[in-house]
Amino acid sequence: MNIIETRGLKKNYALGTTTVHALRGIDLAIEKGDFLSIVGPSGSGKTTLLNIIGCIDFATEGSVRVGDLEITSLSDRQITDIRLHKIGFIFQTFNLIPVLNALENVEFPLLLMKDHSRVDVKKKSEQLLDAVGLADYMKHKPAELSGGQRQRVAIARALVTNPDIILADEPTANLDSVTGASILDSMREMNKREHTTFIFSTHDANVLKYASHVIKIKDGLITKE
Amino acid sequence: MNLIVKIAWRNIMRHRGKSLIIGAILFVGAFIMTMGNGVMSGMDAGLNRTVVNSFTGDIVLVSDKQENDNVFVEFMGKAVAPIYNYVDIKKALDSLPYVERALPEGKNMAMVLNEEGGAPGNANLLGVDIGRYRKMFPGSVTVVEGRMLEPGDQGALVPVYAQKEFEAYTNIWFMPESTVLDSARLPKEVKPDYAALIPKTNAVLMGFNEDNSTTDIRLGIKGIIKYRALNSLWGQFVVIDIESYRRCLGYFAASDKVDVPASEQKLFSLADENLDAMFTQDSLMTSARGAHTVRAAAAKPAAIRTAAPPRVDVDAGAYNLVCVLLKKGQSAPDCIGKLNKLSKERKLGFRAVSWKKAMGAVGSMATIIKGALFVFVMFLFFVAIIIIVNTLSMAAIERTTEIGMMRAVGAKKGFISVMFLAETAMLAFVFGGAGIVAGIIGVNVFAVFNITSTNDMIQLLFGGDTFHPLLTAADIMVSIGQLAIVTLIAVIYPTRVARSITPLDAVTRD
Repeated sequence: MNIIETRGLKKNYALGTTTVHALRGIDLAIEKGDFLSIVGPSGSGKTTLLNIIGCIDFATEGSVRVGDLEITSLSDRQITDIRLHKIGFIFQTFNLIPVLNALENVEFPLLLMKDHSRVDVKKKSEQLLDAVGLADYMKHKPAELSGGQRQRVAIARALVTNPDIILADEPTANLDSVTGASILDSMREMNKREHTTFIFSTHDANVLKYASHVIKIKDGLITKE
Repeated sequence: MNLIVKIAWRNIMRHRGKSLIIGAILFVGAFIMTMGNGVMSGMDAGLNRTVVNSFTGDIVLVSDKQENDNVFVEFMGKAVAPIYNYVDIKKALDSLPYVERALPEGKNMAMVLNEEGGAPGNANLLGVDIGRYRKMFPGSVTVVEGRMLEPGDQGALVPVYAQKEFEAYTNIWFMPESTVLDSARLPKEVKPDYAALIPKTNAVLMGFNEDNSTTDIRLGIKGIIKYRALNSLWGQFVVIDIESYRRCLGYFAASDKVDVPASEQKLFSLADENLDAMFTQDSLMTSARGAHTVRAAAAKPAAIRTAAPPRVDVDAGAYNLVCVLLKKGQSAPDCIGKLNKLSKERKLGFRAVSWKKAMGAVGSMATIIKGALFVFVMFLFFVAIIIIVNTLSMAAIERTTEIGMMRAVGAKKGFISVMFLAETAMLAFVFGGAGIVAGIIGVNVFAVFNITSTNDMIQLLFGGDTFHPLLTAADIMVSIGQLAIVTLIAVIYPTRVARSITPLDAVTRD
């Protein structure tokens, strides 16, 4: 069963008087539970593809289906709901809320959902932080954590809502190799245990060995699946 | 909600510099707003004390034949139309639940004749039943020399201001009866003129009514008075007893009243309504029977006049206006509407106007000063709003990554709006609240100083001779309301900026 499908996906940017064709027609089908890596050189369109699949950018042309929903025709409110309930994000630069501590950052999406008790929210968030090895850092603010620790908090936050898909844009780019490997191990473990679909972009060859599938992308087109 | 409050509070603490700037503006704004409200409220109360409760009442009734509403401070000296039916008006006013008290007055210009042959002076005459005047406006005048007019007295009370004005133009120095000129008691500015002063204990007043007919009377001066405030304005009004006033203006006095039997009242309707009717076939004059009636009617009054004189009802004579004090909490504009309706329905022949209209330029001046203060406070609001909007918008743009990331993980635009509103509301609550408290303290401190002025313009601003800013619970609620409005207006644009931040903005910023 495909959890994500794109058809003829194109994305153009206006850059001054010229138009940049970031995606030139991507047809893609990703199965549930996949651990997919998108690789390609800088400027190839990896991040743009992830952003459109993750409902934080819009396609210029083509269709995107996430689960049962065709997202190109949805309102901002509906798109936000998809981001909250179906998708988890792990960004390259960690992106945590600076005024909240590690535990509160993980709790944040669950509190937005408003369908969990305060006790459940706390318990679940603590379990996840424990799972990523941050049981002793729950009360630390992002500024008090290392890069690897922040990325682990981001992973815990991405997983806390039990999303169908987790998108990670070069999740190890700003980490040392040991920490990067540890993060990828954590992601792979979650993928196996929860059957969560992971899609991550990278241009690090070491990362590719973790992927179940690899898609190569160049100049906005898929060159190899 | 807890989450929003937590994020908002921690953001305030995280961006202390910006929070302090916004807080300081809110503090100063709220402080000035509260002080401004205190000044305006004090001015209102002062004007009520020095004008409404000392001179005009809340509403002034004038004859519907009176051209201008401005009956008190009319610089062209136009006569004020008389009201002849105060007895009927009084009966109507007595039945109204919103009227606290009413005082009929005569008010017109009179020439103060100079018996020494020099140029005459002018005076505004205020003809009153002194007993009712003192009851209506207690403490509005104080006697500085001589004595107060007493009920039944015939005489005048000359204000200090008018006394000096007469002296400056005519060298006549008015003094109370049974006093002698004493140089030691003369005001400093009059002392140099001592040798040339013409002391007078009575005045010859020549009144002008609306028909331009004149009568002159000689009236003893009972006392020299001072008004509670605005002396160069009220000080032009010489208070005299109502019966003398009526004689001076050529009006019928109460003592002139005769009771005319109903059978003879036809004669009045003939004279009043249509003189031509006398020459028609049906007229009394052309009919032999009618002619007899006229002769008989003309003969009867003499017989009545020989009877014992009736007790004088002071209200039976003419007045020019009626000052009406409303009960507390009554809306003057509403009551003016009701009174005008009543006048029309019962054909009472009066028009109700606000005290401000009756005071002409002076009433407008009070409104202008109050309006200027209001505009000043609004201008401060505007400046405060601009600065807060600018600072909050900058804060929103600086927090693009944070806000964009919140949106990326599922926060809706409403969440971002409420978060921004919560931050500004907290600042407004803490700093604006402190500003309001400081304003309340400031108003009370100012009130303790009892700042006084003899300048009439400043007295208008003060609403009296002493600056007494005051804050009622309603004023404080207004200040809180103003602060809330400023906060809401100031947060609209920055919230729009924050709401427009997309998750993509956060990603691309990285």
